[in-house]
Amino acid sequence: MTCRWCHRPLTTDFTLAELIGLRPLRLANLCPRCQARFARIDPKTACPGCGRAHSPRLCQDCRRWQARYPSLHHRALFTYSEEMRLFIQQYKGLGHYQLHDAFVAELDLKRRGVALVPLVSEPGHLARRGFDPVVGLFGHLPLSRWLEKTDTAQPQAEKTRRERLATPQSFVATLPARPAARVLLLDDLYTTGRTFYHAQQALRAAGYTGEIHSFSLIR
Amino acid sequence: MLQVLESELARVAALSVAQPTPVPAVKNARGRLSCVRCGQTAFATLPSGARYCLSCVGMGRVTTGARLWRVPLAGVPQAGPLTWAGTLTPAQAQAAAAVQTSVAAGRDHLLWAVTGAGKTEMLFPVIADALAAGQRVAVVSPRIDVVRELAPRLSAAFAGTPMTVLYGGLPWPGENAALVVATSHQMLRFYRHFGLMIIDEVDAFPFSQTPALAYACRQATDGPTVYLSATPPTNLRRQAARGQLARSFLPRRFHQHSLPVPRILRVATAGLPGRVPQALWRCLAQARAADRRALVFVPDTRWVAPLAAAARAQGFAARGVHASDPAREATVQAFRDHTFAVLVTTSILERGVTIPRCAVIVLAAERAQFPASALVQMAGRAGRAAASPNDPVWYLAGHFTWAMAQALHEIRVMNRRGQP
Repeated sequence: MTCRWCHRPLTTDFTLAELIGLRPLRLANLCPRCQARFARIDPKTACPGCGRAHSPRLCQDCRRWQARYPSLHHRALFTYSEEMRLFIQQYKGLGHYQLHDAFVAELDLKRRGVALVPLVSEPGHLARRGFDPVVGLFGHLPLSRWLEKTDTAQPQAEKTRRERLATPQSFVATLPARPAARVLLLDDLYTTGRTFYHAQQALRAAGYTGEIHSFSLIR
Repeated sequence: MLQVLESELARVAALSVAQPTPVPAVKNARGRLSCVRCGQTAFATLPSGARYCLSCVGMGRVTTGARLWRVPLAGVPQAGPLTWAGTLTPAQAQAAAAVQTSVAAGRDHLLWAVTGAGKTEMLFPVIADALAAGQRVAVVSPRIDVVRELAPRLSAAFAGTPMTVLYGGLPWPGENAALVVATSHQMLRFYRHFGLMIIDEVDAFPFSQTPALAYACRQATDGPTVYLSATPPTNLRRQAARGQLARSFLPRRFHQHSLPVPRILRVATAGLPGRVPQALWRCLAQARAADRRALVFVPDTRWVAPLAAAARAQGFAARGVHASDPAREATVQAFRDHTFAVLVTTSILERGVTIPRCAVIVLAAERAQFPASALVQMAGRAGRAAASPNDPVWYLAGHFTWAMAQALHEIRVMNRRGQP
């Protein structure tokens, strides 16, 4: 095994608890050195609305969202640092699918009683890339693919903040007969929150009445 | 011809003169896939079932079923004459003539010359020949710092010749040029484009460890290749010894002085970077007392900042630089400009850097990060200027290693063979 990011050989030190099976075994695909290169968000000081780093009180953006929609109580693991920008550029930009499980040890989400709903990509992007980046990142978890996305004119990544916020709804939700009481929306990146709140509204429009929270790798 | 992905076609449209021809991007020989762009066979599978080449994905993904486009360019632009006014020493002139003979006969050539022999100047005649014959010439190196050092010298020597510099982060494709100075990765974007290929520092990382780059350089040219190195890799030495590869050998620096022989000091390196051996400060003080600048090479990027800080605490004007440093170019330039006196760095500066009157210290020289070729190259940063050919070189090591023995042996052999 080699580190997914620096390709150096990967060695893992197991704790005694892991060896005798008291704790679930989580194998990292990144070496400790590369893990330290990506800047983590401290959940204690993150914004309670969107998970932004160093904003212990509700941030300005979230206050604006709250006037329109109920909060998603978004959580994220990493900031969009230079290193993370490179990762996304390789993974999504170049389509280097092998990186999809780089963060598998970090993305160990609670799954009991929660439907994990990925924000899937639109069919055009899927055909071009050959994979769905969000499903790739969270593929080791049992996903509930309730959402579908229709093709949009321009990808979010190429838009300015104002254009992003003005994006029209492109999600359609189909619920199973007995949906779980809670939903966790999953995406790779939370930028303005526009996509997440669209997904929330699509679920509500399909008649979902449970609790909806959201999670992303990067904020 | 340029060789580009379908998604890049629009970017090169302005340079194209005829209809580009598509070729399958992946060759399938009875189930065994190989990438047409980089020649490698390691593939990863996408959920859609398609497979893509892992070796060259950094230059855009080559996927099964996709096509590469070969884009013909307009004719070779008119090249100017050699505008370099310097003269070669007799030994340099002899080596340069040998390279010219090989290239004229269409043969590959290894130019094996010690650090500071003036390799770049020896290339000028052969480049001028090829340009005069209406061919395109590529001068490539695996190291971006070497490319940045070569480019201004070549553009000064061929002032009237259209030249393009290519490396990751620069705008691409540039213009239709007769002379291309680039990192070896950029050769993946050419197909039978050059009449002469010159590969500088052919033993350097990543060229030596990445077969895709050697393949790319072969694909990019339909003429001979000239390999340059002070420490050629074993396969090239062997080919030269068997007579399969023409070779010229220059064991003497251009200023006719011998290479500085490293002095080995045994120090405690286990506590680094926290506990710094006193010998380092003594060496630096000695270098500074003789008004020399100093390069301190360390084996680990994480040592750079603490050691530069420790050197500043000792009263030296020191800074650090490493590969992923955002201020990399600026710091190296400031060091060249005498803004500060001590530069702590990793192996990124082991090659292609010429600092006159500069002492060299290799810290923890016993580490595996320093193979013999790296030790020779780092020692080769000292004594480059004719005015100060005897700059000191110190290897500070916890113990003696085979690589250090090889490096010392190689330097001594060169000095002996270069005796007038």
